[in-house]
Amino acid sequence: MFVRLILWALGLTLWITVPVAAQTVPSAGSEVTSTGFYRDQDTLPGVYRLYQQQPKKLDWLWSTGPYQRGVRKSSFKKDVHIDVANYSPRRLCTDCHRDHSRDMHMTRVGITCVQCHRDKPIDGVYHYYSSMNPIRRHAYVCAKCHEGATPSFASYVVHEPNPLAAPTREDFPALYYATWFMVILAGGVFVIFIPYVVLWGVRELVDKLRGGPVHDN
Amino acid sequence: MTTERLRLKRFPAVHRLWHFGLIVLFMTMGVTGLAWMFIETAWGTWMAGWFGGYKGVLEWHRTSGLIFLAGFVSHILYMLTQVDWKHFPGSLLGPDTLVYQWVDVKGFFQHLLWIFGLGKAPRFDRWSWWEKFDYWAVWWGLIIVGVTGLMLYNPVLSSDYIPGWLLNIALWVHRIEAVLAMGHIFTIHFYVEHFRPTALPFNAAMFDGTISLKDAKHEHPEWVARLEREGRLQAALVPEPPVVMRILYFMGGYAIIALGLFLLIFSLLNVGALTLL
Repeated sequence: MFVRLILWALGLTLWITVPVAAQTVPSAGSEVTSTGFYRDQDTLPGVYRLYQQQPKKLDWLWSTGPYQRGVRKSSFKKDVHIDVANYSPRRLCTDCHRDHSRDMHMTRVGITCVQCHRDKPIDGVYHYYSSMNPIRRHAYVCAKCHEGATPSFASYVVHEPNPLAAPTREDFPALYYATWFMVILAGGVFVIFIPYVVLWGVRELVDKLRGGPVHDN
Repeated sequence: MTTERLRLKRFPAVHRLWHFGLIVLFMTMGVTGLAWMFIETAWGTWMAGWFGGYKGVLEWHRTSGLIFLAGFVSHILYMLTQVDWKHFPGSLLGPDTLVYQWVDVKGFFQHLLWIFGLGKAPRFDRWSWWEKFDYWAVWWGLIIVGVTGLMLYNPVLSSDYIPGWLLNIALWVHRIEAVLAMGHIFTIHFYVEHFRPTALPFNAAMFDGTISLKDAKHEHPEWVARLEREGRLQAALVPEPPVVMRILYFMGGYAIIALGLFLLIFSLLNVGALTLL
């Protein structure tokens, strides 16, 4: 009798709650795209070096990567411009962020600032709920154009510093040293060989006027 | 037929074919790469237009790059078949190989002294130090642009294996190495092989595979002497190629040189308008 009563109670509970629960389940379509909450697409603390310790074997590599000098405090704020004197949302971003106006994303593909920095007010890229936060940037920003973008992919530095400038040595050492190495290699080839071949040509001309070279026997 | 009209066989057909493939792919990569790099300028847009615009030129660049790398791998396999493995590694040394040896270091300094009038002209064998340098420069150049090019080919896939920020570095290394390669070919290589007083008006050795005996005695006296000593000189002499072919080689060669100089001059003229960051 007691068991039967429990089964009746369970049945009644299910009969009432299932339709209610069904109303709260998103449709299949919305499940595929997104549930609307950032955290559904967030990564576990992964390549984001501010939040995660890298495996020991990769420590040396990440210590040469970008953002070695740290991140501005304002980048963690909900409204990144809140403490900026004379800020007005009517001004063009590039009025102040001049060095960001020559990025390849902007000049070559025509992407505007707000296509990536889309939250209003513009939030700091490290604010926890920002779509630009590296824990979800790949899914909410990069993947709009780069299908399948991963957190690692999102660590590409869009606003790249001048690779040859002195501050880059502190900020992004690997970029600084690799670029300088290549510039010295390329420059060295031209600095050595262009005078060399010019003098060679002069010498050949002299020999030609004298009737041919005298070879060392 | 007199000896004066005879030429010395310098490059077999297969070597000339490698060089021809290298020219075609290098120039394609150069044109499409510069068109993409200078896409913000009228010149870059115009060049990209021949390949279907911004996206088209990038596809051409990527596809040519893959073919180039495939060609490079084939060349390595070909070279491995040319090694005398029975006498390896000793077979890598000798006057006919392109492997750098002590004699090349000596040749460089003798050449330098000769340039400054401090010594007699060195007696180069089959390959001079700068010819070996030109050959190996393609290797290290292709390894650098090839590895970075593959990283950039599919950046999303690459970043599964490397941190994405390494792509920032790969792009700069790729660009600078490509500029170095083009700059070297369009100035130093063209000058040394075609515009030196003794090479003017055009050195067709890599096209017809031959060199005049007179030029060989001047540029590679030790090689000619060695062939003579070993009794192989007569067998190595070949007749001059037909006039039609010589005209074709000359025109084709100068068309490539003109294209190289066009790319060089317009790159320099437009460099100020570049957005590289």
